[in-house]
Amino acid sequence: MTFRIVVFISLCLSVGLAWIIESGATDVFLEATRPDFQKIPLGVAGIENSGGADSPAGRIRLGNRIEEVLKADVRRSQVFSLIDLPSIGIKVGSLGAVPDPEFKKAAEQGVSVIVWGKAGMTNDAKDPDVNMDGYVYDAGNDEMVGGKRYAGATSVVRLMAHRFADELVFRYTGEPGIARTKIAYVSEQGAARELFVMDYDGYDARQLTADGFLNLMPKWSPDRRFIVFTSYRNRNTQNIDMIELATGKRWTLVSLSGLNITPALSPDGNFLAFASSHEGNSELYSLDTRTKAMQRLTVHAGGDLSPSWSPSGRELVFTSDRSGGPQIFLMSMDGTNVRRLTFEGDYNAAPAWSPRGNWIAYVCRSPKKEYKICLITPDGQKRVQLTSGPGVDDSPSWSPDGRHLVFSSTAGGKSQIYMINADGKDLERITFTGTHNSAPTWSPAS
Amino acid sequence: MKRLQSIVCVPLIFGSLLLGLSGCSSKAVQSGGDVQSSQQGAGKGSNEGGVSQNIPDTSFSGQNGSGGLRGLDKNPSEERLGGNTLTAKADSGSASRQMEEIRAEQIASAAAGLRDVFFAYDSFAISEEGRQSLARNAEWIKSNPGTQLKVEGHCDERGTSAYNLVLGEKRAKSVRNYLVELGVAPKQLSVVSYGKERPVCAEHVESCYSQNRRGHLVVKTGK
Repeated sequence: MTFRIVVFISLCLSVGLAWIIESGATDVFLEATRPDFQKIPLGVAGIENSGGADSPAGRIRLGNRIEEVLKADVRRSQVFSLIDLPSIGIKVGSLGAVPDPEFKKAAEQGVSVIVWGKAGMTNDAKDPDVNMDGYVYDAGNDEMVGGKRYAGATSVVRLMAHRFADELVFRYTGEPGIARTKIAYVSEQGAARELFVMDYDGYDARQLTADGFLNLMPKWSPDRRFIVFTSYRNRNTQNIDMIELATGKRWTLVSLSGLNITPALSPDGNFLAFASSHEGNSELYSLDTRTKAMQRLTVHAGGDLSPSWSPSGRELVFTSDRSGGPQIFLMSMDGTNVRRLTFEGDYNAAPAWSPRGNWIAYVCRSPKKEYKICLITPDGQKRVQLTSGPGVDDSPSWSPDGRHLVFSSTAGGKSQIYMINADGKDLERITFTGTHNSAPTWSPAS
Repeated sequence: MKRLQSIVCVPLIFGSLLLGLSGCSSKAVQSGGDVQSSQQGAGKGSNEGGVSQNIPDTSFSGQNGSGGLRGLDKNPSEERLGGNTLTAKADSGSASRQMEEIRAEQIASAAAGLRDVFFAYDSFAISEEGRQSLARNAEWIKSNPGTQLKVEGHCDERGTSAYNLVLGEKRAKSVRNYLVELGVAPKQLSVVSYGKERPVCAEHVESCYSQNRRGHLVVKTGK
């Protein structure tokens, strides 16, 4: 198996990264995910409090709060590299002429984009109105190339920063950005597991179900309106339910006898792939959501589960233990052309196909018997172990831009949710409350 | 597609040879034969429910690419942002009822003195000790023919949530099948897998894992 090159990134990430760069990218990479993509240096020259420190905005440090959220979004975007302007001798805040002469100084030091702005709040104790102005200076044009002006209630302060960050990504890549995306997940509530939805950075968690039963393995509909999941609310079978986020309205889609788990809607929303044990052991099925016709996709004495769609909707990647321990397999969406993808290790499960198509993330059991996140290309030619160390990692899910993953891990003791770049950098814990948070699933972009 | 197949076939052939399996081409034919249309399967073999005929429209025509963004403007007009209306408020009505039911089942099961069966790592085979426990359980169940029981399959925290649900179901079915072998009426028993979602012990150590890898009998008190 000498041609099956396996790279384990354990302590030295650079080894694996260098190898990926050397081996070249496949043609499905878009520019900003190419390993040789140079991040755009961007500095934030301050979001000031309109009216100064004693104003309504100043008293709650509104501008500083927006600036913090914006900087975190810029850093996570993977499109920009965040430059700390004061550290390279550039004064920020109290801007004079626009663009400020300081911007040109920063540009000479290689900063390509500078953003700044101001935030204000009306003096209304009960229901104040918030506004934010954000501007963009482009060193290439040597001018203010444009800005945004937002207004809304105090509840949308973070959203203002997220939306501005997404505009920056859109301006420089043509992609909508991920700062306004959401993550659905499962949180322990006593003996129950309930569904929650939070912002992609872990803030503003909202409870979706509260039925006291187990609610497991959520997945988004491609239009972000619904979440499909496994529900234990019917005591006799474990059903696949769907909930509408805006209304909380709930439907039972599949209530075949036994265990109905791991639902996943196709990218066009027309097919629901899922696993059901109603004909004996766990097999994969596809339900046409328009005609309600169900097709059995797998026939095997082993268990088949966890289908994940390719971005084209023509193929599925799934877990099967037909060859002993669980391994990752691929097949066409009609169940033909089944082939095994993973051969390293005796436990590979929970695959998730990147929205860009170029990688499949999954849970691998390392030689040290640790359950970690691995990536493999759909042709099986490249494989990397993305996470390392103690704790059980589970449920990898891709950001819609394919540059990040979320997953659950018990690395810190209790199961919590973490974000990591697809290149293994910038591991970040994003849930801090609750006794057990698991099964994160990233929403499509809006 | 052809290119992809050839890319995949090479490692598959070598991989299969190493594993003593059949080659790639025969595998593709075999898997082609796997496919079986079971439109009638929705009703067949499922005595309760099946597939809903009432499914909201989930079709998605694809996004416009801008994600609702309007772009930067040298003289930006004000965009008013709505509140976070994505999610409705959850109704916690049934949660407390469910807690009461779980408690009632725990009390009834404890009173019956039913024993748990413990499994080896990654295994759903019943040990000799497990057989002895189930023999005692079977006697109790046979002498209480009016009782309905749930056979729960549980796993330790290692491995994925999804695969452990399948493993938990295999454990629950092992226990049920053995009880039926011992003469328990099948209709008294239903199976449910909780995977690793309802552990009795929360530490990350083997002494805890071994307690969680269990088949557990619950006396049903509700419907």
